[in-house]
Amino acid sequence: MTDTRNDEQLQEQAKALFDNSVEELDAATLSRLNQGRHRALEELQRPGLVTWSRWAPAGGVVAVAVVAAVLINGPGGEVTMNGAVATSDFEMLLEADSLEMLEDLEFYSLLDAVDEEADGNVG
Amino acid sequence: MNASVGVFAVSCTREPSTGARALQREQQLNRFLAEIERRALRIAEIALRDRDEALDLVQEAMIKLVRNYSDRDEGEWAPLFYRILQNGIRDWHRRQKVRNRVMVWFGKGTAADDDYDLTAQAPDPAGRSPETEVQTHEALRRLEDSVHELPARQREAFMLRTFEGLDVAGTATAMGCSQGSVKTHYSRAVHTLREKLGDHWS
Repeated sequence: MTDTRNDEQLQEQAKALFDNSVEELDAATLSRLNQGRHRALEELQRPGLVTWSRWAPAGGVVAVAVVAAVLINGPGGEVTMNGAVATSDFEMLLEADSLEMLEDLEFYSLLDAVDEEADGNVG
Repeated sequence: MNASVGVFAVSCTREPSTGARALQREQQLNRFLAEIERRALRIAEIALRDRDEALDLVQEAMIKLVRNYSDRDEGEWAPLFYRILQNGIRDWHRRQKVRNRVMVWFGKGTAADDDYDLTAQAPDPAGRSPETEVQTHEALRRLEDSVHELPARQREAFMLRTFEGLDVAGTATAMGCSQGSVKTHYSRAVHTLREKLGDHWS
């Protein structure tokens, strides 16, 4: 009971402090937020927006399927990674908001290489 | 006479034109983003400890929301927006991890959290005594440090539920997990924070 009250008190205090910090954001920051919002709203005026959003899911599935085939089979048709790594990568790729990651495959290849290198050094 | 009344009645009940609907949608999005942007910035800033990076991520999330989800129901926007933002924060941390490793290899040290100076980021005092101002900033610093040190999923759950005020279902959508997971992460986060902040917050 006391724990519950303490938890509620903590949440209320945390919320009050957070809200206070939000209210005290400086004018320069607010201006940048305002500019960012208007830049985002300009997306509504872009021609072809509807066409892209209509085909994006299908395109994304095709792209993920291609990447999956490459990752699992490798260029020479061999298995190049274990199941756990493949599953986590697919989950990440399948997130609707992360389709942009397909454009960063080179970076994520580097990331994997770095992880493997680090593991090798430790072992 | 009757015909003209009929035409008038039809014109009054007609659906808004495509242009009017587009304008209405733009106004709705503008209101939504204006309402959410400041809290989103602070949430991103606490996670990243860098205001400029947080501003970039918030703008990116706004663009993606408008580009991909502007046709969704208005009630879905907040969870979707925060899902985009949280994905951006996770990607940022992954990139930062690699960048720090590379910097260590080249002997240039790491971009430490210590570089983040909350006092420098703080706005000017507004009508409060210096003592109160110092106490508030100190409490905020402790809170931000403690929240930042939480495991990523607990931090997400706590900030989305407490700071943004999303319900469990909305938080689950934003985090891309089940409602049960949200409850677990949130409960653990509150427990940890209470242990860390208890002495100062009782």
